[in-house]
Amino acid sequence: MKSIILSSAVVALLVLTGCSSKEASLSDAEKAAQEQAAQKETVVVNAVDQEIVDSNTMTSVEKEFTAVYFDFDKFSINADNKSKIGTSANIVNTSAKSFSVKLEGNCDEWGSDEYNFALGLKRANAVKKSLVANGVDESRITMVSYGESNPICSDKTQACWSKNRRVDFKLLP
Amino acid sequence: MKILISFFFIITMVYSSDATIEVIKKVDSLPYIAVEDSSIDYNDRFKMKFFKSVVSDLTVISLFNVDRHYRYVEYDADEVVYENKDMNYVLRYKLSEYNNALNIEVKIISNKEVVFSKNYKINDKSMYMFLSHTIAYDINEFMGKPSVEWMKRKVIFSRVTGPQKSEIVIADYTLSYQHVAVKGGFNLFPKWANKNQTAFYYSSLDDVKPTLKHVDIRTAKSKVIKSSDGMMICSDVSEDGSKLLLTMAPAGQPDVYLYDVKSRVAKKVTRYSGIDVGAQFMDDDTIVFVSDRMGYPNIFSKRFDSTGVEQMVYYGKSNAACSTHGQYIVYKSRETSNSFSGNTFNLHLISTETDFIRRLTAVGVNEFPRFSKDGDAIIFIKNYMSQSSIGIIRLNHNKNYLFPLKYGKVQSMDW
Repeated sequence: MKSIILSSAVVALLVLTGCSSKEASLSDAEKAAQEQAAQKETVVVNAVDQEIVDSNTMTSVEKEFTAVYFDFDKFSINADNKSKIGTSANIVNTSAKSFSVKLEGNCDEWGSDEYNFALGLKRANAVKKSLVANGVDESRITMVSYGESNPICSDKTQACWSKNRRVDFKLLP
Repeated sequence: MKILISFFFIITMVYSSDATIEVIKKVDSLPYIAVEDSSIDYNDRFKMKFFKSVVSDLTVISLFNVDRHYRYVEYDADEVVYENKDMNYVLRYKLSEYNNALNIEVKIISNKEVVFSKNYKINDKSMYMFLSHTIAYDINEFMGKPSVEWMKRKVIFSRVTGPQKSEIVIADYTLSYQHVAVKGGFNLFPKWANKNQTAFYYSSLDDVKPTLKHVDIRTAKSKVIKSSDGMMICSDVSEDGSKLLLTMAPAGQPDVYLYDVKSRVAKKVTRYSGIDVGAQFMDDDTIVFVSDRMGYPNIFSKRFDSTGVEQMVYYGKSNAACSTHGQYIVYKSRETSNSFSGNTFNLHLISTETDFIRRLTAVGVNEFPRFSKDGDAIIFIKNYMSQSSIGIIRLNHNKNYLFPLKYGKVQSMDW
């Protein structure tokens, strides 16, 4: 009788527990801050204070933006959105002028394929072009698409799906 | 008369190997098989789980009418249980625990003769389904049928666990065994990096730019392959693993790129102002991909040495995903166009050499179709009536099998 040992085939399923880079960098920064605090306490406290002030400013300015919503399966910008983006462009060039802008494209749940990610990106790109047309420096804008993986509403309703077909404005230091 | 017979013979030969033609087989024509448990160790719950797994796998190989009644009998009993006396085959097994491993003795009895026997062993009991798949694979071989090697392959998929949170999971083909390979962060679109499934690629969205990473699961080492603004997805890996088809959008414009793993050079393959994504190798010279160049997503093909593209699919309002095997393309098609209620997505199979279209599913949202490496089966996800399942389509047997998913929504999948 022949005996088969399968364990070698599946033992290869090694655990790779990763952390998001954001979490990793925050953790490193905290460690560094703690080490410095032991040596030069005053300097570190000032640096942290400054970071908190910047972070608070960024968060409060970010709240001034309103998301841009899109029709089903579309990435064109309608008249309502044009005025909304005009207002956002003004914020980018005034209260948010010291930050970069990250445009996050999102989709509803109808299709989680690559195509949906591309649709989210095309929505972000449409907003980017409109911002640039309104006087925003192109080099200050980055884009990412989250497809359907970043919903703000999970109900199975038309209103909910509409909320998920959007581009969000985020600020980067 | 000779001409007529020759004509029918040729027609039969031409269509007998075409997977787009539905094969209608009478269920009654298949032999009957029953399963008998002779296990001495393990509790009743585990015994029943293993029994169900064996019954499912025997059903999926599509060679038998499988009796689903649980029967217990001594492993060395001369006779099969009374209820199974008319079965063409009886599969009898005994689970036992020794040397810190799950051991299984298996035999097949037909006409009172033992016609097949084999022993198996696995160290981790929680991986029992891999044993069940291997037993079914061996029985398929014993019956002299075309290989079901895909039963032993692993599935890799990403699962969204919250807004901008996901896991990458390695599983058996029924997704009943699940091992989280990458957790923490926002990591999507996993893709096996080679035929042996010893490494995989995935897209990380945690960095400033979307980044493609490579993980060797033997060493658990991860390395960065490439980053791109907007999008960075590995859509397909060539047969020998030396080339990748990527979707990148360095200027906010999603296009298909051919990436050489050795030289690390990416060459732009498509140039279109709309959306070009999801490319798959068809052969060394040709790809198929999804594009909205007709105003809606559809499947096109393109040769690397040509600028022209060819429309491959003429049915369906929105065909946003596909998988290829040789001349065959399976694609996902939206059958309805509602922005106000649920939509139906079905899978269809076409051949580049005929005009036939075969609809593979009928209801619900059917997505993520992937051919097995040998083209014998297609794996997919079905969402229907608030239940998600993983589906297996046996093309040459015209049968679909569904395994309900425990939890989590699949974002992307590779086999």
